[in-house]
Amino acid sequence: MNKHFSSEQISRWMIGERTAQDEEHARQCPECAAKVAGFESAITLFRESVRACGDSYRRPEIPLLAGVRRARRNFVTRPSRWAPVAAALVLLAAIPIYTNSRDRRRQAEMARADAALLEQVDVEISRAVPAPMEPLVKLVSWNTNGTTQTGENR
Amino acid sequence: MQPMAPVVTVAEPVESLQLEDFDQVVRLYWPRIFRFALASLRDQEAAESVAQDCFLRAHHARQRFRGQSSLSTWLMQIAVNLVRDHCRNRRIQFWKRARALAPDLDAVSRSIADRGVSPEGKALVKEQIEAVWKATEKLPEKQRTVFLLRFVEDLNLLEIAAATGLKEGTVKTHLFRATESIRQRLGGIV
Repeated sequence: MNKHFSSEQISRWMIGERTAQDEEHARQCPECAAKVAGFESAITLFRESVRACGDSYRRPEIPLLAGVRRARRNFVTRPSRWAPVAAALVLLAAIPIYTNSRDRRRQAEMARADAALLEQVDVEISRAVPAPMEPLVKLVSWNTNGTTQTGENR
Repeated sequence: MQPMAPVVTVAEPVESLQLEDFDQVVRLYWPRIFRFALASLRDQEAAESVAQDCFLRAHHARQRFRGQSSLSTWLMQIAVNLVRDHCRNRRIQFWKRARALAPDLDAVSRSIADRGVSPEGKALVKEQIEAVWKATEKLPEKQRTVFLLRFVEDLNLLEIAAATGLKEGTVKTHLFRATESIRQRLGGIV
């Protein structure tokens, strides 16, 4: 007969790592067979106790999918759940609108300034004489045949 | 070398079950997932929470289930991750709560021991059950998970590897160490 099983051999037996030689030894050696059987029995009892513990607790009555549906319903019916999300979405949507309107305002102001400048330039260009000489123009009128007359009637 | 033999043969749930009928999936697999969580966490409330969370996640991810592993292995994979997260995130609370809400081991071991014929036999059975529970509690997390999946849930090495994300060789190492550690802790009881 071979040597008795070591602790390691018994553990290996338990996890399924056993050779034909080990099995032969277990058949012939009541002492080792008893050790293996005792450990197997302890593990089996443990397994049964875990199962008994698990079975003693009942699954909650609320079906799982009802829980999912309730969570969805709560989201819809409770404004506190979706209001922040909605507010964030509105804010995000408003940013481009605000940016566009500000751009449009700025463009309109620039167009108005350009128009005012052009008008001023037109006025400058359309003057017959420079602005400082305008009082003289009022006094002297130009006739078409090249003679000059004073504005005063003599 | 021979393949691992199950300690006790149990009826396997129907693996061909369609995920569309999710209520049926929950009914069928709830006991297994809850039991694993309970044995891992020793806390009924936490185990219920893990089991609920496991099925909710499975429900959300059901479209992604490709059937590469069995449904029970897939669910167990989710449960293993949830138990691990629970242990890591709430380590301190877990141990405090575990003491307060641990399963009533005394009642359970007494009910099993009642089958024993002699008073000595009953006492020995009760002692063995409590000793293995205590020994598993002392195991490192991975060893405990692998041990429970093998000896309580009857998963084979490949299924445990799939559920835990470990390599088959690593599973075997953890399983051997866990078994050896428990055997040594049991000492002269067995």
